[in-house]
Amino acid sequence: MDILGNLAHGFSVALSFNNLLFALVGALIGTAIGVLPGIGPVATISLLLPITFGQPATTAIIMLAGIYYGAQYGGSTTAILLNLPGEISSVVTTLEGYKMARNGRAGAALATSALSSFFAGTVATIVVAGSGPLLTSVALSFGPADYFSLMLLGLIISAVLAQGSVIKSIGMVVFGVALGLVGTDVQTGQQRFTFGIPELSDGISFVALAMGMFGIAEIILNLEKPEARSVLKTEVGSLWLTREEFRRATPSTLRGTLVGTVLGILPGGGAALSSFGSYMMERKVSKNRHLFGSGAIEGVAGPEAANNAAAQTSFIPLLTLGIPANAVMALMVGALIIQGIQPGPRMVEAQPDLFWGLIASMWIGNVMLLIINLPMIGMWVKLLQVPYKFLYPAILVFCCIGAYSVNNNVFDVYSTVIFAVFGYMCNKLKLEPAPMLIGFVLGPMMEEHLRRAMLLSRGDVMVFIERPISASMLAIGAIALAAMLLPNLRKGKEAALSG
Amino acid sequence: MKINAKDVASGVLLILIAATGLWLNGDHSLGSARRMGPGYMPMLVFWAQMALGTIVLALAFFNGPDPLEKWTGLDASMLIISVIVGTAVGLAAPYISSFFESSYGSLGIGMLAGFLVLAYAAGWRLLAFICAAMCAFCLLLEKGGLMLALAVTIGIACLAEPEHRSRPLGVLGITIFLLAMCWWIFIKQLDIRVAVWPLQY
Repeated sequence: MDILGNLAHGFSVALSFNNLLFALVGALIGTAIGVLPGIGPVATISLLLPITFGQPATTAIIMLAGIYYGAQYGGSTTAILLNLPGEISSVVTTLEGYKMARNGRAGAALATSALSSFFAGTVATIVVAGSGPLLTSVALSFGPADYFSLMLLGLIISAVLAQGSVIKSIGMVVFGVALGLVGTDVQTGQQRFTFGIPELSDGISFVALAMGMFGIAEIILNLEKPEARSVLKTEVGSLWLTREEFRRATPSTLRGTLVGTVLGILPGGGAALSSFGSYMMERKVSKNRHLFGSGAIEGVAGPEAANNAAAQTSFIPLLTLGIPANAVMALMVGALIIQGIQPGPRMVEAQPDLFWGLIASMWIGNVMLLIINLPMIGMWVKLLQVPYKFLYPAILVFCCIGAYSVNNNVFDVYSTVIFAVFGYMCNKLKLEPAPMLIGFVLGPMMEEHLRRAMLLSRGDVMVFIERPISASMLAIGAIALAAMLLPNLRKGKEAALSG
Repeated sequence: MKINAKDVASGVLLILIAATGLWLNGDHSLGSARRMGPGYMPMLVFWAQMALGTIVLALAFFNGPDPLEKWTGLDASMLIISVIVGTAVGLAAPYISSFFESSYGSLGIGMLAGFLVLAYAAGWRLLAFICAAMCAFCLLLEKGGLMLALAVTIGIACLAEPEHRSRPLGVLGITIFLLAMCWWIFIKQLDIRVAVWPLQY
């Protein structure tokens, strides 16, 4: 089947009533948590994971994906209106977007953000559809050694691109891999690190780990900070762009889409990195760069296009190689595995409904989000008036019931508590939890591929260097690590990630 | 000296976890590189973690200063006391009531007691109340039913926020709203298998 035929099949899957409904629910939840500061997509997806188990895998992933890219739309609303980024990926939108709102062009900024996100989303959807099958055929020629090196590269880059110290992040990645090894050894059936607890023989609960480190730890950290949420004073105004604004925003949207599409595919990349990347680029190449800092529409169009494009293309490594590019994708791997689907290159062939349905639903979701966000903007602004002190009990009970309902076992809830304490501690020590989550997901797969590779090579480690694919992955990883030792680059990364 | 206290603690933490892991890994056969046993990959991983922890620790003496948050004397002493109380309660619980014998009840009551003691120290209050709320949920869920467990959980969680403590009626409102919402989502729509009311089974 050609791509068009596949896409048509995808649309027939995505347009079924149930899938449409869940795409809408995902988009609505995504927008809501995007608008609300203090709740991110990682926490939300981890706490909604258990709810999706009752649904077919395709429906579940469609909804979870909707939350992720919905959050990119919603996050910009508060960034523009209140100078308060709802998500990390919309931090840069505050720089120009809020200035635009102060200049009385809040409506135009919101429209630019939604339209450029929509454009980027459409392009990214096409890229995912086109490159997916292509990459899959490449991936099928990978041997175990290549896979191992690829995963190692993914882990290194996710640590390099994480906020803060690279060595500490790699330490967290490694610890994540170790946690992933807890449970029954696949080959010998021996129990590892289970302390005789039967619940641990299937490994540490993924939901408990993600919920504790992100959901619960975030509640505690948010409560520690005094609430800084000003009441909206800005008028939204007309949503229409002037011709001049439209003309200025178009090239930035195109560039932002390109930056986002490329950075999204990178392991460790994703929405946040891309919006920073695009903003940096706009400030250098835009014709109106002298206007930056005083409400330049280019500084809204570019980053907003970039973060949405990246949110979608970061699905590419997951869908084709089975490797999560960031923490949200690690959650998707968790969701798929719990549904009994092993993510990897065979997924396109074996699960065409899932692959093409998801791609089609991405575009449908973008259309929904455009409608949800632009005409209904007033409703989302109202949502901001719900204070966090009313939200956190709701998040907490959702986590409790969610963690319990995965296996109908309270042990998972106790594990969540333990990971919450650990996550809180990590935050205080500036240890990044996101690389750990990726390590946790990849750990068991890495062990399997390492074992197979070494068996095939009769215990010869040189196999990782002799195979060209594997060798180039390792070389890229080494270069990425070495680059971080250069003081200039490190400062550049810090500047880019802290805004 | 510019000591980065956060990195010192991180390095020590990584090293300690790795050392514990290596020690526990002693039970597993390593096998050879060609035929890896269950202990081979954990060994590689924990040695890598040990090395990284050592680097973090070594660098911490040069890249500071980045001090840890100040602990008051109360914070530190309550941490120790809560661990002792929690362990004692957890160990004693099965002898006191058969309620704690099944589904990790003694673990739960021990953690709950520990967190409630810890909540006495202002520095730990938020963490302690949120975690205590979750432990209470686990303890009550199977025998007390979802509604009771949720009500107690929400009550304890609201203690974390000073504004809720002075407004019991507001907390009641939140509780009723959340009970209705959870009933509608989890029982009516998703139909999760759990007792809803006390003494149902």
